[in-house]
Amino acid sequence: MTKRRFIVEPRGLVSWKVRLGVPVASVLAAFIVAGIFLFLTGVNPIEVYSEMLDAAFGSPRGISETLISATPLILTGVAAAIAFKMLVWNIGGEGQFILGAIVASGVAIWLGDGVPSILMIPIVIVAGGLGGAMWASIAAIPRVYLGTNEIITTLMLNFIALALMNFLIFGSSSPWRDPEVSTFPQGRPIPESARIPEIFFRLTGGIFIAIALAVFAWYLIGKTRWGFAVRIVGDSSDTARYAGIGVARKILTVFLLSGAYAGFAGGLFVAGPVGALDPRSLDLGLGFTGIIVAALAGLHLIAIIPVAILMGALNNAGPSLQAIGVPTATVTMLQGAILIFAVAGEFFINNRIRRPDIEPDEESEVTPVLEEVEPA
Amino acid sequence: MKEEYIMARSRWRILAIMVVAFALLAAACSSSDDTTDTTAAAAGTDTTVASGTDTSGEVLKVAFVHVGPVADKGWSWAHDQGAQALKAEYGDGVEITTLESIPEGSDAQRVFEDLAANGNTLIFGTSFGYMDPMLAAAENFPDTVFMHATGFKTSENMGNYFGAAEEARYLSGMAAGAATETNLIGYVAAFPIPEVLRGINAFTLGAREVNPDAEVQVVWTSTWFDPPKEGTAAESLIDAGADVIAMHQDSAAPGQAAEAAGAGWVGYNTDMTEFAPTAWLTAATWDWAPFYITTAQQVLDGTWKSEAVYGNMADGMVVLAPFGDSVAQDTQDLILVRESEIIDGAFVVFTDPIVNQDGESQPLGDIFGMDFFVEGVIGSPTG
Repeated sequence: MTKRRFIVEPRGLVSWKVRLGVPVASVLAAFIVAGIFLFLTGVNPIEVYSEMLDAAFGSPRGISETLISATPLILTGVAAAIAFKMLVWNIGGEGQFILGAIVASGVAIWLGDGVPSILMIPIVIVAGGLGGAMWASIAAIPRVYLGTNEIITTLMLNFIALALMNFLIFGSSSPWRDPEVSTFPQGRPIPESARIPEIFFRLTGGIFIAIALAVFAWYLIGKTRWGFAVRIVGDSSDTARYAGIGVARKILTVFLLSGAYAGFAGGLFVAGPVGALDPRSLDLGLGFTGIIVAALAGLHLIAIIPVAILMGALNNAGPSLQAIGVPTATVTMLQGAILIFAVAGEFFINNRIRRPDIEPDEESEVTPVLEEVEPA
Repeated sequence: MKEEYIMARSRWRILAIMVVAFALLAAACSSSDDTTDTTAAAAGTDTTVASGTDTSGEVLKVAFVHVGPVADKGWSWAHDQGAQALKAEYGDGVEITTLESIPEGSDAQRVFEDLAANGNTLIFGTSFGYMDPMLAAAENFPDTVFMHATGFKTSENMGNYFGAAEEARYLSGMAAGAATETNLIGYVAAFPIPEVLRGINAFTLGAREVNPDAEVQVVWTSTWFDPPKEGTAAESLIDAGADVIAMHQDSAAPGQAAEAAGAGWVGYNTDMTEFAPTAWLTAATWDWAPFYITTAQQVLDGTWKSEAVYGNMADGMVVLAPFGDSVAQDTQDLILVRESEIIDGAFVVFTDPIVNQDGESQPLGDIFGMDFFVEGVIGSPTG
C-alpha cells in the first residue's frame, strides 16, 4: 500500500467545540465564497452584506420582521428534524403546513365570534397540529404497515394539499372563501379572537409559542423515556426490536408528531400575521425551507431556533437588495451556498483529516461508541 | 458494521433530500425570478440606495412594487414604462426604487413598510393582491402616500387606480371580428373576476358589431403569468377551430401559439407586435405615464387626496395599440371612428339593459361587479 498524504478517519467523540464551530465556519465560508461571486459580478459584497444585516437586524422593526419570518420555520424545521432523526423521510412538511392552515382557519371560522381568545388561540393551533398529523397519516400508515416509500408519498401529498387549498378559495364557494369580496377570490378572515396579539411592531406572541413547542420537542425526544426509545429505533431498528420496543408504533407516532409540528406552523401562521386561508400568503415554501433549516441545524432541536432566525433574515433581505440594484436571486444563491457548505461541514464534524506522520491528539482515543447514544 | 452503514447511508439520504428540498424551493420561487438578473442591470441604473438618510426635501422618493418581473413585456413592464417616464419628467427631482417579483399576500406588508421606513413618500403597488397588506402598511405609516392598482379599498393615505380597458377591448374586438373566417375567436383568460369578464364582454360586443356571427370561446388558466400554460390554452382553442386568439394574460405566449398556427392575435397590456408580427392585429394597452406624473406632482404640491381613479381612453390611460399589417384599411377606419366616439363620449361600450349569454335581456348592473357573459360568449362566467 502506497503511503497516503492524508488520512480521513472518523472522529470518535465529537466535542461540542467541533459541533458548534464547524457549522458556524461553514456559514461564514458560504458568505465568503458567495462574496467572491458577487465581487466578480461587479457588486460590492460588503455593501450587499451590510444592507442585508441592516434590513434584518438594523432596526427594531427589522428584527420584528425577521422573527415573524422565523416563527413558522422553527416549527417546520422541528417537524423535519424529529422525522429525520428516526430515519423517517417526511418531506411533506409543505403539505402538512397547508393542511394545518386549512383546518386551523376552518375551526376558527366554524367557532366564530364569541369564544374568548384565551381558549380560541390554543384551539386554533391544536387544530392546525391535528390537520398536519392527519395529512401525515396518509403517508405514515402505508409506510409503517405496507412499507411504501414515504419520500415519494409525502412529496406528492404536498402538491395535493396545495391544489386543495386553491380549490377551497379559487374553485368553490367553500366556507373558507370570503363571500363579501366579489372582485377576486380570497380567504374569509378568521374571527379577531383567534388572532394572536401583536407585541412588538407586527411580531405576535407566536414566536414564543414556536420556541416553546421546539423546546418541548427537544425535551420529549432528548429527555424522556419515550424519546430514548425513539432514538434507539432511529439508531438501529434491530437493536430496538431486540430490546422489545414496538418499532412500527414508534415510527408511526414520530411521523404523526412530525406532521403535527408542520401543522402547528400552519395554524400559527394563520392565527398570526395572515388571518385567513390566503393561498397567496401561505404558498411560500415554508415547509421546504424547514427541511433546510433542520439539516443546517444538524437535526438538533434547539439549534433549529437560531438557524430559523438566520433563514428568516436571509429571506427578508431579498427586496432590500433589489432597492440597491442587486437581484433577489442573490439570496437564493446565498441560501444554496450555505446549504452546500453545511453539508460539507457535516463531513468534517464526523471525520477528521490528518497527515499520517502526525499522531492524532487524545480526542480520537476515546471509543466512538458514545456518539451513538448522544442525546438530541 | 451495519449500524455504521445505516448511519452513512442516512447521511447521504439527508444530503439528497436537502438538495431536492432546495430545488423545490428554488422552483417555487423561480417562475418569476429567472429574469431578475437581466432586469437588475437596467434597474440598477435608475434605482438608488434606499438609505433612509433623507436630507434634501426637494427630491421625491417614489417606489414601485410589482408582482412579476418588469421584463415580462406585459402588465408589470407597462407600469415600469410609466415609472421611467416619471423619471424622465423629473430627472434628479425623483428617486425611483423598483421592486419586482414581490409575492402578494401578508408578507408584502413588510416590503411596503420597509420602503416607507426608507423615506419613500409615494409608493405604488401594481397588483390586486397587495390591497390588504398595503392598507395595513398605510395605517402604520400615515405620512406616506400609498397608491394601489386594481383594488377597491382606500384610506386616508391610500388611494387606488385603474382604467376602463373595456373601451379599447371593444375596439380590439372589432379587429378580431373582422379577421375571423371561422367565426370562432378564442379568448385565453386568467380568472373569472369582474375585471376580466368586463374585458371579454366588451371584446365580444365589438367583434359582433362588425361580424354578428362571431362567437368568443373562453378558456380559464387560473394564472396571470404562466407562459407555457397560456400557450397551451391558445393551442387548444386553435384546435377547436378558432382562427383568432385574444387574451387577458401578461405574457406573449398566446400570440406565439397563434403565430405558429397561422391564426390572428389580439394582445393585451403593451404593443407586443415583435413577438408575433404576422399574427398581430391590435390590443388594449396601458399608458400609466400621465397618471404617475400627475400623482407625483400632486404629492410634491401637497394637493394629493385619497381617491379611486378610473382612467379611460379620453385621459390617455387606456390606449389602442398600433394595428398589424393584416388589418384591412376599411376595418381600421371603422375602428378609428368608434375610437373617436368613445373618446368624446358619443359611444358607450355597455348599454343598459344588456343581452346576456342566454339571449335574454337583463339589467346591466354595476360593471365593477360584473358576473355574467353577454350574448356570443361560449364558456362559463364562474370558471
